Amino acid sequence: MKLTLPMPLKLVGVVLGTTAFYMYLGQIVPQKEKHPPPPVLISAEMTTEDLIQVGLELANGRGICMSCHNDVRAPGFDGIGSRAGARIEGMSDIEYLAQSLYEPDAFLVPGFAQGMQKMNEPPISFSDDEMKAVIAWLQSQGGTATVTLDTDLGY
Amino acid sequence: MSRNKILFGIGVLAFVSVIVTVRLGGFLVDNEYRQPDRQAAAEEALGEAELTPRQQGIADEQAADEAEARALPYEEAEYRAVPFVGSRVTVWVLAQLHLLFAAFVLAVPLFAFIIEFIGYVKKEERYNKLAYEFTKLLSVSFSMTATFGAFLTFGLIILYPKFTNYLMHIFSPTFLPYVLLFFLEALFLYSYYYGWGKFGPKVHLFLGFMLNIVGTAIMFIANAWLTFMMSPGKREDVDGDGIPDFVSAVSESGALLSLRDAFFNFTWMPINIHRIIANVAFGGSIAAAYAAFRYLRAKTDEEKAHFDWMGYIGNFVAIIAFLPLPFAGYYLASEIYAFSQTLGIQMMGGTFSWLFVIQAAVIGNLFLGANYYLWLGMGRIEGAVHFQKFIKWLLIAIALCFAVWATPRYAIASVSEIAAMGGSSHPELSYLGQMSAKNTAVNILILSTYMSFLLYRRTGRQSTHPHRQLLSRAQVVVFAATAALVIFFGIYGYYVDAATRVRFAIPQVYSVLAAMLVITIIDLPLYRNARQPGETQWGRMPAISQYALIFIALSFTWLMGLMGYVRSGLREEWHVYGVVLDTSPDAYTPTLGFATQVVSVTVLIFFGLLGVVFWLSSLSGKKDHEPKSAAELEGGQAA
Repeated sequence: MKLTLPMPLKLVGVVLGTTAFYMYLGQIVPQKEKHPPPPVLISAEMTTEDLIQVGLELANGRGICMSCHNDVRAPGFDGIGSRAGARIEGMSDIEYLAQSLYEPDAFLVPGFAQGMQKMNEPPISFSDDEMKAVIAWLQSQGGTATVTLDTDLGY
Repeated sequence: MSRNKILFGIGVLAFVSVIVTVRLGGFLVDNEYRQPDRQAAAEEALGEAELTPRQQGIADEQAADEAEARALPYEEAEYRAVPFVGSRVTVWVLAQLHLLFAAFVLAVPLFAFIIEFIGYVKKEERYNKLAYEFTKLLSVSFSMTATFGAFLTFGLIILYPKFTNYLMHIFSPTFLPYVLLFFLEALFLYSYYYGWGKFGPKVHLFLGFMLNIVGTAIMFIANAWLTFMMSPGKREDVDGDGIPDFVSAVSESGALLSLRDAFFNFTWMPINIHRIIANVAFGGSIAAAYAAFRYLRAKTDEEKAHFDWMGYIGNFVAIIAFLPLPFAGYYLASEIYAFSQTLGIQMMGGTFSWLFVIQAAVIGNLFLGANYYLWLGMGRIEGAVHFQKFIKWLLIAIALCFAVWATPRYAIASVSEIAAMGGSSHPELSYLGQMSAKNTAVNILILSTYMSFLLYRRTGRQSTHPHRQLLSRAQVVVFAATAALVIFFGIYGYYVDAATRVRFAIPQVYSVLAAMLVITIIDLPLYRNARQPGETQWGRMPAISQYALIFIALSFTWLMGLMGYVRSGLREEWHVYGVVLDTSPDAYTPTLGFATQVVSVTVLIFFGLLGVVFWLSSLSGKKDHEPKSAAELEGGQAA
């Protein structure tokens, strides 16, 4: 015996079935709830070691640095602390890193395109002290962090 | 008892029930129960006031509350909450429903006008009738659009008062033109609809033309408001170094610097273009769903033939608009990247990257549904067998492209699976998850669907052109060369740096667009005076083809909901990106699972309301009510 459903039921079935199928697709992909990064507090007595920790937090959080700096879209961070001082002749590692953060298009690592945003501008809006923290962390990647809150970045 | 009497009785009963309930409530409030012994003691203690301790307590509390309220200074609320659902979801659903109806109301006049114009040029009444059938859907939909627009406005004012106030501060000069245009749209829409057959064809076409101009202008204004939230400024090479700089339309504190830059902001035009094309595709699919609904309910062959043709035209409009849509989407995405790499990365490589895998699956379904309908459509044309042998190859190509497009770069895998793969990406299949493969797949998908349409167009027709063999071969060469070029760039993309790889998308897109254009230009003279031994038998479509049309409309609607979410959600915790921070409890990005639930519920509400629109629109075709004659009434009583 052939079972035939009335047309309105079939219509409802198509509408509910299709919507349920698409909703199901949404349930099987990775689920991640993303909250705004918590505010980072930098106090005047923080040491370079403290700044490294804060810098890592900023790079992973508000800076979303890791989304691009993976050697595919932008140069990776492995060994940046040892390379930074030799990138541009006459420029120290701190000066080079500061320039990369304040004026990212001023120098481009060969093989990579421009497009990184200025990190002191919205929506990231790092303060000067937060920039120093990020530079401390970058220096620590294969090198020695020397930046302190008293360092003049020139910006 | 007659049906009318029963309905009248139910109405009276409902009215009486409301009155009784209100009076009963009032009685209970006025006659509070008191224990006899306590009542006497209370009356004695309170003397003339006759207040029970409870009443006194309530009165004291009210007085204290009133005094507290009077002492408070006026403060503007930043946010208000909706219980259970939340403010964001409330505004989200209202905005999406408003947008879906608005998209439909903007799209239908566009193709109704074109169809009417074709009918005018060809002097064929059937086109005029079809355009009128499409326009019948507009009147109720326009009311729905306005209703949800009002809902959304009130929702924003109530739930996000401070932010809404800020947007008003920026865009208040645009409100009056918007309202005036809205008034004009109502004028042109109703005169276009009710004036059908009442004016001369040129006057009526002018009304349709103006309706489209005004409707588009309204959308452009509204687009400025929403795109400002994403890109509040423009990019311009200010310092002359050849690199565009961001020029904000507002100061760091949010004060307006340039209304012009706020209005004509960076993503305004890409959204305008994307929305016009998407609205037409969406509107065509909804109109086709209406035709499918009427086809399934049709009683006569004439009705079936009419609604089959209407469904075909609606779907044709949807597919023609759908083919360039990925290119418009690519343009929009590249402009978002150009405006802010951070936004672009969030979109394609960050929080929302998995959303695009879902998008690929929905678009793949759309392509499959559209092609399936075309292939079934060949059945209504005599002499289709010759072309039906190509269907399996097209199906294979479409299925393969669909699979490539929906392949993610990183797999959802268990720990053991990750260990077996040597990482979270599959050693071979992850190559298909990269941009090169996906761009190639979508371009071949578009080419294949275009070929399906071309085959459908040729079915049952024989070219009489003297150079038909040469021209047909030229078409095949163009098609094959384009496919080869697209695949070449797709493969070569793996051997170049990221920046070059991204640029490869441009020749891929242009070659496909050019191929479709060239093949169409060749096809028009090739089949201009074609012989048609067999006729197209409208109304001979199986019922499943009509469900396919409804499936396509559903998929379009769901896709619009999903992409609306990503466009708005991209801002994450910002009301206005980089300027006004969202500090409400909803200032976080929900999971994709939650977002798709909201989208699905919205789509279901929309289709429920659409059912009402379809039903109301179909009433105009029904016979007028005729009161029963005396003889019929007597016959009924005797029985």
